[in-house]
Amino acid sequence: MIRNVLSEIGGVGLYGIVSICLFFLVFTGALAWTLLQRRSLMADMGGLPLADGEVRKPSEGESRHE
Amino acid sequence: MKTETFRYDNRIVRAFAIATMIWGVVGMGAGLLAAVQLFWPEANLSLQFVTFGRLRPLHTNAVIFAFVGNGMFMGIYYSLQRLCKARMFSDALSWINFWGWNAIIVAAAITLPLGFTTSKEYAELEWPIDLAITLIWVAFTVNLMGTLLKRREKHLYVAIWFYIATAVTVAVLHIVNSLEIPAGPFKSYSLYAGVQDALVQWWYGHNAVAFFLTTPFLGLMYYFLPKAANRPVFSYRLSIIHFWALIFLYIWAGPHHLLYTALPDWAQSLGMVFSVMLVAPSWGGMLNGLLTLRGAWDRVRQDPVLKFMVVAVTAYGMATLEGPALSIKSVNSLSHYTDWTIAHVHVGALGWNGFMIFSMLYWLVPRLWNTELHSLKLANWHFWLGLLGIMFYAVPMYWAGITQGLMWKQFTPDGFLQYPNFLETVLQIVPMYRLRAIGGSLYLIGTVIGVYNLTRTMRRGAFEPETEAQAAPRVEEESAPRLAGHWHRWIESKAVLFTLLATVAILIGGAVEIVPMYLIRSNVPTLSSVKPYTPLEVLGRDLYIREGCVGCHSQMIRPFRSETERYGEYSKAGEYVFDHPFLWGSKRTGPDLQRVGGKYPDAWHYNHMEDPRSTSPGSIMPPYPWLLTQRLDTNALPARIAALRRVGVPYPPGFEHGDAQKQLEAQAATIIESLRQGSITNAPADREIIGLIAYLQRLGTDAKTALATPIPAIALNPNP
Repeated sequence: MIRNVLSEIGGVGLYGIVSICLFFLVFTGALAWTLLQRRSLMADMGGLPLADGEVRKPSEGESRHE
Repeated sequence: MKTETFRYDNRIVRAFAIATMIWGVVGMGAGLLAAVQLFWPEANLSLQFVTFGRLRPLHTNAVIFAFVGNGMFMGIYYSLQRLCKARMFSDALSWINFWGWNAIIVAAAITLPLGFTTSKEYAELEWPIDLAITLIWVAFTVNLMGTLLKRREKHLYVAIWFYIATAVTVAVLHIVNSLEIPAGPFKSYSLYAGVQDALVQWWYGHNAVAFFLTTPFLGLMYYFLPKAANRPVFSYRLSIIHFWALIFLYIWAGPHHLLYTALPDWAQSLGMVFSVMLVAPSWGGMLNGLLTLRGAWDRVRQDPVLKFMVVAVTAYGMATLEGPALSIKSVNSLSHYTDWTIAHVHVGALGWNGFMIFSMLYWLVPRLWNTELHSLKLANWHFWLGLLGIMFYAVPMYWAGITQGLMWKQFTPDGFLQYPNFLETVLQIVPMYRLRAIGGSLYLIGTVIGVYNLTRTMRRGAFEPETEAQAAPRVEEESAPRLAGHWHRWIESKAVLFTLLATVAILIGGAVEIVPMYLIRSNVPTLSSVKPYTPLEVLGRDLYIREGCVGCHSQMIRPFRSETERYGEYSKAGEYVFDHPFLWGSKRTGPDLQRVGGKYPDAWHYNHMEDPRSTSPGSIMPPYPWLLTQRLDTNALPARIAALRRVGVPYPPGFEHGDAQKQLEAQAATIIESLRQGSITNAPADREIIGLIAYLQRLGTDAKTALATPIPAIALNPNP
C-alpha cells in the first residue's frame, strides 16, 4: 500500500524536469536581457544610490562617522 | 530643467531604528536565557512561562520578526524614499506599519509565554495575530507600491526589486501556511495534516529565511554598501542575475528540511537539487558585494560601518555555502536534528542579519542626528565582541552537532548501538552548551555597548525629522504605447509589471511543490489501524503543543538502522493523517518520541514530568510540576473536537456533546488506576498530566500493530 502511494503519483518525474526547464529559461532570459542592456544604462543604474537628490549643507563631509 | 523640492520622512526611520535596538536586546536576552537553561534547567526559575519550550519560540520570533523585522523596515523606509526620489506614499500607512508591527510583537511576547502557539516554527502565533500580520503587511505593501508609482526616478534600482519580491512572497507564504480553523480565541488547528502540513510548513519556513532574512537584506546591501563605500556596486549586471536566479531557486528549496522523512522522495530530491544550485547566485551576490569595496579596503580598517558590512557579507557567503552542503542528503543524514543546524542559522542570524543591522545603524544614526558617532572606540569594542561572540557560538555548536550525530550512529563491532542511552550523547555535549552561552553573552554585551554608543550619539546630535531633496519630475516615455484607459498605463508602469513577474516566479515554485501533494491527498497511505485521537489524547496533544515539547523532541524516525535500533520502526506518511498540526520537530535535544507509546508505564511518565532527573539522572529536561496541579480544561473539548472535524478528522456528528466527555472520563479513570498500581495514589483524574500521559502512551501505537510484520525494505523503496 505504501509503495503504491509513493511511487504512483501520476508522472512525478515530470515535476523535476519541468522545474529545471523553467529555471533554465528564466536564468538564460535574465542573462540575455542583462547582457543586451547598454553599458551606459547599467552604469547609470548602478549609480542610483549615490544620487539621492538630498540638499546637503556643504560642511557635511563623507567622514562623519569615521 | 524644472526641479521639484520635497522632503524625505526621517521620523519613521528613527522609530524603526529605536525599535530595532530595543527588540535586539530583548530577543538576544531571551536567547541567552534559553541557552543557559540547556545546561542549567533551573534557570527557568520554576516558571512555566519562561521554560525552554515556550522561551525558544519567543526568542526566534523576537529575533526574526522584532529585531530583524524592524531593522528591515528601518532600512527600507530610508532607502526606498531616496531611490525613488519621493517621500513615502502615505505617512499614515507608514505609522500603521510601525505601530501595528510592534503591537504584533508585543502580542507575541505575551501569548507565547502563555503557551498560545500553533507549534509551526516561525509561524507560532495564533490566528488573531495571524490576521493582524496580514493586515499590517498589506499596509506595508500598499505603501511600497504607492511610493513606486509616485516616484520621480525613472529606473527601479535593484534593491527595490528585492523589496518587491519580499513584500509579495512573504504575503503568499504567510497566508498559505497560516490556513487554520479556530477552536477558541487563541487556539486553532492547521488545515493540513501530517505530510502535507510538513511540506507547507517548510516551504514557508525555508522561505521565511529566504524572503524575510535574506532578500530584503540583499536589497539593503545593494543600497548601503555603495553608500558607505561611496562607489557604485561592482557589477550591476551581476546584481540583476543574482536577483532572478535567487528568487527562482529559493522558492523550491523548502523540502531540504525534510530529507529522509516520510515526505515523498521526489519532493526531497527537488528540494536538494535546487538547494545545491542556490550556491551560485548566493556567491555571485556575495562577491558582488565584496568587490564593490575594491580600492576602498583601507577604509574598512577605520570605518565601523564597513567593518560590520564586510563581516555580514562574508557570513552570508559562509551560510550560503553551508546551506547547500547541508541539503545534500548524505550530509543531512548526519547534521539533521543536531546542533549543526543551530550553528548554521546563527552564522546567518548573528553574522549576516545582525551585523548588517548594526552597519546600517552606525551609518544612519550620525546622519539622521546630524552629528558624529559618539565613540569610535566603543564601536570597535562592539565589533570585536560581536565577532568573537559569533566564533564562540558557532564553533562549539559545530563540535556538539557533529559529535552527537556521530554518537547516534555509532555501532559496536557486534552490531549494537554503542550509545543506546540517548542521555549519554547529551551529557557529552553539555560543555559545548556552556561555551555557546559564553559566545551568546559576548555578542549580547557587544550589542548593549552598541546601543549605548548609538543612544549617546542621538543625544549629542539634533534629529532632522525631514531631509530636503530636489529632483526633476518623472517624464512619461514618449515611445510608450498608450492605448485607451488609465489601467493600461498602470500595467505599463514597470513597477507593477515587475511585481507581477516576481509573483509568477515565486508562485510557480510553490505550486509545483505543493499542488501534487494535494492531488495525492486521497492517496496518502491510510493505515487502517491509524485512528483519530481520543478526547483525552486531543487535550493531551494540545498540552504537548502548549509546552513546546516539539522544540526538543522529534516524532519522525528516519529509515536508518541507527534510528530503527534506537526508536523502533521508521515513520510512515500514513501514521500522521490525523496530525493537525504535524509535530515532526527539527531538533533532538531529547530523544524521538514517535514510538514512545507503551514503552514506559504511566507512573514513569508521571514521575518523569514531575522531575525528569528522578527517572533519568543528569537529564537537562526541565521539570513540569505545574502539569500535576493544573486542572485539565475539559470545557474546551467541544470546540476542539468540532474544529478538528472541520479540518477533516472523522469524529461522528454530535460526538462532542456528551460521548466525548464520557470517553475522556473513562480513559482518565484507567490511567488513574494504572498510576495506583505504580504506587502513585494521590493523583486526581482531572489534572493536565493525565491528558499528557494519555497522548504520550498513544504515540506510535496504532502503527505498531499494522507494522508488526516487518515490510521488506525493497517494497518500501519509493523509487524502485
